[in-house]
Amino acid sequence: MQAIRVENLSKTFQVKRKEKGMKGSIQAIFHPQMEEVKAVDGVSFTVEEGEILAFIGPNGAGKSTTIKMLTGILYPDGGRVEVLGIDPTKKRKQLAYNIGTVFGQKEQLWTHLTPYDNFLFFSAIYDIPDKEAKERIGELAERFELGAFINTPVRNLSLGQRIRCEIVASLIHKPRVLFLDEPTIGLDPVVKEMIRSLIRQMNEELHTTIFLTSHDVGDIEKLCRRIIIVNAGKIVLDDSMEHLRNKDLADTPLENIIMKIYKSEERGAVL
Amino acid sequence: MSTVVNRENAVNILTVFKNQLRVCLLSVKYNIMREMVNKVTFVTNILFMMLNNATILVQWVILFHLREEVGGYTMKEIMLLWGMTAASYGLSHVLFARVFSLPELIISGKLDAYLVQPKNVLLSVMTSATNVSAIGDFLYGLVVIGIFCTGVSGLYLLPLFVLTGTAIFVAYALLLGSLSFWFVRMDMLSGQMMMGMISFATYPDGIFKGVSRFLLYFIIPVGMAVYHPVHMMISFDKRLLLTVLVYTFLLGTAAVTAFYRGLRRYSSSSLMEARL
Repeated sequence: MQAIRVENLSKTFQVKRKEKGMKGSIQAIFHPQMEEVKAVDGVSFTVEEGEILAFIGPNGAGKSTTIKMLTGILYPDGGRVEVLGIDPTKKRKQLAYNIGTVFGQKEQLWTHLTPYDNFLFFSAIYDIPDKEAKERIGELAERFELGAFINTPVRNLSLGQRIRCEIVASLIHKPRVLFLDEPTIGLDPVVKEMIRSLIRQMNEELHTTIFLTSHDVGDIEKLCRRIIIVNAGKIVLDDSMEHLRNKDLADTPLENIIMKIYKSEERGAVL
Repeated sequence: MSTVVNRENAVNILTVFKNQLRVCLLSVKYNIMREMVNKVTFVTNILFMMLNNATILVQWVILFHLREEVGGYTMKEIMLLWGMTAASYGLSHVLFARVFSLPELIISGKLDAYLVQPKNVLLSVMTSATNVSAIGDFLYGLVVIGIFCTGVSGLYLLPLFVLTGTAIFVAYALLLGSLSFWFVRMDMLSGQMMMGMISFATYPDGIFKGVSRFLLYFIIPVGMAVYHPVHMMISFDKRLLLTVLVYTFLLGTAAVTAFYRGLRRYSSSSLMEARL
């Protein structure tokens, strides 16, 4: 069964243009100039249930904009999106019960509360009764080894501890699809490896579909079976990791292959 | 068959409402808990706001020693006006403080966390912060009314009018704030209009004539939030009550519609942020 189905998805942002200096600021008041930036330009792909997909690209390629349209944060300008058969633009709340999101650069937890209180709050958001919530928190705290700091305010946690708590908060309602936007950003290698192992475990045990964006080649290599590369709002590569490795590039580090694709103007020209 | 379906729908709606209310109350509770981390700051914030308001009261006491009435208001009516304004302003900022900084959330793309939750976005956003000093405003309003206005015949209407006043403050801020979905620097105008509303709400409406009076009743809705309720608590008028209730409903509907229309234009951001 398809977990995600995207057809011809587009999103354009209006960006204000201004000449430099004070003169430019004054001119912009009387003659504002707008420029259209196509963040996502006719993207189509599908993701099977239980798949771990790397959705990568250089900065400004349209990765986060795509994730935000898949999760109902942004409205697309064109095309169709279905996540678990639900259209995020029409049934955002229904979709939210079935997906989890972790944005490595944006905290969802309340920093003055302890992880435990945060998890109780998130349980209330997902209508989980208190007794069930406490059992679920206990189970996740054990699996993610949160015991030592579950009662410490989030603001006093290290980045690695915080990200583990962010992931637990996004799993409290047992989502079928998990969107991870740069979950390992800024983490040390040990914590990165721990997060990867937990993601893999979740996928194997619970069959959770993982949609991952990351600039870390290690995340992609160690977790993903399929890779989609976007550049300037378009898909430039959609292939399995295994296939990518077998295209006479077996000795080339993945990082170099990705760099070449980022720099290449033509679709998949490097291959 | 249809009766069973209707009953099931009613139960579902009730459950959704109960769950939403539970999250809102938890949110307000956690907001207040955050502010109580530093107990001394928490208490002094409240007390100093009450003291700050009380200093302005002294000016009115002096003025009423010189004149019997100002703009058709006696001392008791001015205190009722102050009490109503402080209580409505206070309650709106204790429960729904974030609505007053909505332009900043929209411009900096900070609505993402609320949009991925299976709850009403607007209520989640509005209840996600509190203003501690507003507790001082709210208490001050009640204390002033308790001291100066016990003889007012329509005082039993106070809870209703504090609620409509709160709803008007919140709806007005929501309407102005939602314009930020369309216009980038609406935060400045929105802030000034809100300040204007608070300033006007502490003067008797009798001193305003012509266009300014029209503005105060319909464009900056001080008349509906404070003046009419004060008049009705002194001398009840059914038609006026209906006007205030209908106006509150219409303003609320317009504000909610503007927010959800605007939300389609929301562009998020890639700024790093924390939920403080």
